[in-house]
Amino acid sequence: MFELLAIHPAVAELGQFLILGLVLGSLYALIAIGYTMVYGIIELINFAHGDLFMLGSFLALGVAIGLGVLTADAEVAWVILTIVLMLILTPLFCACLNVTVDRIIYRPLRKSPKLTVIVSAIGVSFIFMNIGLFWRGATPVKFPDLIADTNLIEGTGFRFTWKDAMVVGITVPAMIALTVLVKFTTLGKAMRATAQNPLAAQLMGINVNRVISATFAIGGALAGIASVVYGLYIKSVDYQMGFQNGLYAFTAAVLGGVGNIPGAVLGGLVIGVVGELGKAYLGAKWSEALIFGILIIILLFRPTGLLGARTREKV
Amino acid sequence: MSAASPLLVVENLEAGYGPINVLHRLSLTVHVGEIVTIIGANGAGKTTTLNTICGLVKARTGRIVFNGHDLTQLPPHNIVRLGLAQSPEGRKIFPRLTVRENLEMGAYTRTDPEGVAADIQKWYKMFPILEKRKSQLGGLLSGGEQQMLAIARALMARPKLLLLDEPSLGLAPQVVVQIFAVIQELNRQGVSVLLVEQNARMALKIAHRGYVLETGRITGTDRADLLLHDPRIRQAYLGE
Repeated sequence: MFELLAIHPAVAELGQFLILGLVLGSLYALIAIGYTMVYGIIELINFAHGDLFMLGSFLALGVAIGLGVLTADAEVAWVILTIVLMLILTPLFCACLNVTVDRIIYRPLRKSPKLTVIVSAIGVSFIFMNIGLFWRGATPVKFPDLIADTNLIEGTGFRFTWKDAMVVGITVPAMIALTVLVKFTTLGKAMRATAQNPLAAQLMGINVNRVISATFAIGGALAGIASVVYGLYIKSVDYQMGFQNGLYAFTAAVLGGVGNIPGAVLGGLVIGVVGELGKAYLGAKWSEALIFGILIIILLFRPTGLLGARTREKV
Repeated sequence: MSAASPLLVVENLEAGYGPINVLHRLSLTVHVGEIVTIIGANGAGKTTTLNTICGLVKARTGRIVFNGHDLTQLPPHNIVRLGLAQSPEGRKIFPRLTVRENLEMGAYTRTDPEGVAADIQKWYKMFPILEKRKSQLGGLLSGGEQQMLAIARALMARPKLLLLDEPSLGLAPQVVVQIFAVIQELNRQGVSVLLVEQNARMALKIAHRGYVLETGRITGTDRADLLLHDPRIRQAYLGE
């Protein structure tokens, strides 16, 4: 029976790239949500977001070093404790840092021209990158390999390891939690109301500055979670990693329709899959060209992105 | 009406944008139970007056006292809590929230979920079209439906004073009549109203008192029925 269903090697290979693409894509999605939420509410492209993600991974690394848990040979309980601590401390750190930057840099510029704020965000990006450079040096640093690469679906012809399961097991619940928060809680509704009409939101009694802080906190926390997952999965971090991953995540946000959370998730998955398939079948040097080529084509036909807002306010 | 206590007192208010003052020593009063209207041409400062009362525009000098509280330096989100809600010019519905969610946002400052749910039902009764459309996105409603939603949304805060900015703007005549009937009904139920309108005739017909606003200055005030028959007003604002 199983022999009959034996998978052709080419199909197995394709399946493998799809799995890898979806795994990386869900990482991009988590970062992209931070871009899209902040854009949705104050129309700022927060260029520092990718570098926040980088600083998060450095902190997570610090947690592992601090606990002395640097290999998978450590006791299972310790490994779990380390990962749990990373997943608590890193999002907290990134959330606080993101809120602080908004408070002291973006908020005073709230009424300035958009370009001023964007240039400030680029500045913050460089500051973060230099903090990263100072913190861990210029060369890539090994991130502890704490999760086994055992294949969980042995005999199917595909590989899906504990690491892959970890990525899915952390990113999917995080996205579900965010969706529930935005859709059903008072804070979530206030965030959407503020994004759609900040003036009317104030007339409802919504403290817009507090809602913006909450948005930066949530976006930062998701970048923090992504940075832990990235470190554990890629096993290497460096001070420039925020740039490329941030760029991909930002592209994902635009692709999905900037300001739209499900759009950011979809965009992240599309970019992850397209990037991996491009790498596999066209060669690594074409992967980026393919991603951005697809972005341009989609935006030509759907300028608001895949799931971008189509309802316009009636005047 | 003179025996009634003042609910809103605005004294010598100056406000504007950038270097330009829009309001010049503007004073007005709304008593408990009144409908007061401000009539005036486009650009006279009607919206600026309401937005300064709500805290969206900062007062430069002068005082705004509402129900014993000085509003002059308060941020808008704290003013709502004191019992003052606005249905803004252009309605400003949240276009991608459902009708029901829009109403829930109106009750943002309230902490009594049962009361909020009961009020939503209450306004559904008054505006049956909103109940029919409760799961639709606000941005998909017609202009008249949006206006009703904007008023109902403001009422969800259970305000003592309702500020209405151009509720007739862009609406078909039958819808305007309907909206004004609703305003009168709300007033009968005890809500005081400060109504800003370009449609001076309709506004003066339902109001108790009126103020005439010209380039940021109050140039006249009287009982609404008297203003309605004042030859000067009839010529300038009623098209006669």
